[in-house]
Amino acid sequence: MIEQAKDPVLEIHDLTVSYDRKPVLWDVDLTLPAGQLIGIVGPNGAGKSTLIKSIMGLTPNSSGYVKLFDKNLKDVRGKISYVPQKESVDWDFPASVLDVVLMGRYGKLGLFKRPRKADKDVAMDALRKVGMEAYINRQISQLSGGQQQRVFLARALAQQADLYFMDEPFAGVDAATEKAIITLLREMSARGNTVVVVHHDLQSVTQYFDWVIMLNMRLIASGPTEKVFNTELLQETYGGKLTLLSDVGELIRRERFPSREQKRKKELKQKK
Amino acid sequence: MNSFLEFFSFADPNIRYVVFGSILLTGSSAIVGSFTFLKKKALVGDAVAHAVLPGVCLSFILYGEKNPIILILGAFLTGWVSLLLIDYISAKSKIKEDTAIGLILSVFFGIGIFMLTIIQKSGNAAQSGLDQFLFGKAASLVGTDLIAFTIIALILICTVSLLFKEFTIAAFDKEFAATLGLPIKAIELILTTLTVLAVVVGIQAVGVVLMAAMLITPAAAARFWTEKIQTMVWLAAIFGSFSGLTGAYISYIAPSMPTGPWIVIVVSTIAFISFFMAPRKGIFYRVRNQKKIKRQINDENILKALYQLGEQEKSFFEKRTVEEILQKRIFDPAKLKAGLKRLKRQGYLRNKNGHWSFTRAGRDKGQRTVKLHRLWELYLTQYLRIAPDHVHDDADTIEHILTPELEARLEKLLDYPTVDPHSSEIPYR
Repeated sequence: MIEQAKDPVLEIHDLTVSYDRKPVLWDVDLTLPAGQLIGIVGPNGAGKSTLIKSIMGLTPNSSGYVKLFDKNLKDVRGKISYVPQKESVDWDFPASVLDVVLMGRYGKLGLFKRPRKADKDVAMDALRKVGMEAYINRQISQLSGGQQQRVFLARALAQQADLYFMDEPFAGVDAATEKAIITLLREMSARGNTVVVVHHDLQSVTQYFDWVIMLNMRLIASGPTEKVFNTELLQETYGGKLTLLSDVGELIRRERFPSREQKRKKELKQKK
Repeated sequence: MNSFLEFFSFADPNIRYVVFGSILLTGSSAIVGSFTFLKKKALVGDAVAHAVLPGVCLSFILYGEKNPIILILGAFLTGWVSLLLIDYISAKSKIKEDTAIGLILSVFFGIGIFMLTIIQKSGNAAQSGLDQFLFGKAASLVGTDLIAFTIIALILICTVSLLFKEFTIAAFDKEFAATLGLPIKAIELILTTLTVLAVVVGIQAVGVVLMAAMLITPAAAARFWTEKIQTMVWLAAIFGSFSGLTGAYISYIAPSMPTGPWIVIVVSTIAFISFFMAPRKGIFYRVRNQKKIKRQINDENILKALYQLGEQEKSFFEKRTVEEILQKRIFDPAKLKAGLKRLKRQGYLRNKNGHWSFTRAGRDKGQRTVKLHRLWELYLTQYLRIAPDHVHDDADTIEHILTPELEARLEKLLDYPTVDPHSSEIPYR
């Protein structure tokens, strides 16, 4: 059940992503509408993080392409923001909360330039929105898990983007923080921003998201929550891996097989 | 004293070369090393340091004499190749980075020693002193060396200050930096190049074997003192330069002493001192803090025991003997005595002829500890569903750590209860 969006902000065309040659996402093909709060759900190892990493150009795609605002990623980077999992960095780094949030401005600043007063204003504003304005000078090593997550969100807000990809922003946060974050995300989508969130807790899906993507190594569903979030599709998503699919993937890795024929790649390049 | 003045007047050009050469080398490698340290690539510096040796030997074999520029070029080349190889091996094969580093280090260093031996056996008179690359030759730096070092040190410092923000984000969150569109590969390549440059000049002072210390130790020491990256890099530079200066001075007053190893000893001493003395992170601070906590727990337990005695007899300001307190709660007698004296000094207790009694402040403090104990017991039974006979030990610890803020929250959450799970009264002021 894959519903296509009209005037999509994101178009993923036949995307296959491999780690060490083993495909972890097979032929994902979908479009996402603008101004909505979108959840990506699926079991562990389903490729949820991989999908957004590959949209952000952090993992090489074996085949297929991604269009954002109908353009290539590198032409629209300024309009897109990425929130990595908070475990992906070492929080015992010599930096303050403000230092980290200011990093959200580095893309707009460009090389060599130091953050200006205006950038600090934007960062302060972002910190206020996540309720961390009292912590600007706090060392990041002294933050709780929920506060770390808020800092990462503030950094993303400081980017002033139109499209946000967030990898598990609700992981390891307390109930109060989760509520604060979802309120913020709702406000963002109400203002016309599109927010795509990797999510783990199935219970809150209908309450949180307008649109849901269901993944398990392949795309099972993508569409409005009320249409696709049903028992049948959930069972398909969580009902075990397709063992044949993962066995073929394993074989590709073991045999050092190319995941696409060389010839076709060249053809594709010529087409572009 | 005379030699001190003689040295620090820098009148002798030889002293000038050695001192400024050493400071430049150690300072600039400490600055670059700060980022290597933050990226947790400490061992990479060691590998590069060893990998420059074949480059030095190769350029000598090809050029035939010890021209510093040529030797630096050769060293730079193999150092750089070694880094690329480490990255390539760990990215493209099943071999992990630590193994790749070990492989590259030993293979390159082995080739270097092999070539050095060939050169030494060749009978070329110009080769004497080439082995100084192994342990450094800071004491015999000359004017031309200094010019080359100054240029490289300036390149290092300027590049780092220009790309400070980029190096920082690359060390903290590389993937995020890439999504911003920053040319992260180029930034990392520049940092790699700077690391190799720092190593190449640094080995002339402290040698191949000790170079990793110059790269990493100043930064590791600086990290103990600060949580700000700018301060950390400055401190690392100061620690590095200071060790360069001191090393040069020591080998000046004791001419048989080698400069390079002394530089490393000084910087290691600084790191050692930081490890023990630094506020918050140092060992001494932690030990002292632990002692303080133990004292606090001991003293609060004394006040609690006295309060409970008062509760039993409904008379809080009664005079008590040490024996009475010991009957209420088991204390180490020496610690009890020390605690009682301390509490008297702080104005919580009075002592008359060996009899102890509360002051008003002491009664309040004892009451608070008892209250927190009972509140926590109640919290555990109500919210964690723990049996009432299992909550005492937990509460015995928690009562000492709860802040007034948490106390207020706890009271509110439990709706100002009057009795604990054992039906003891919860005292409020």
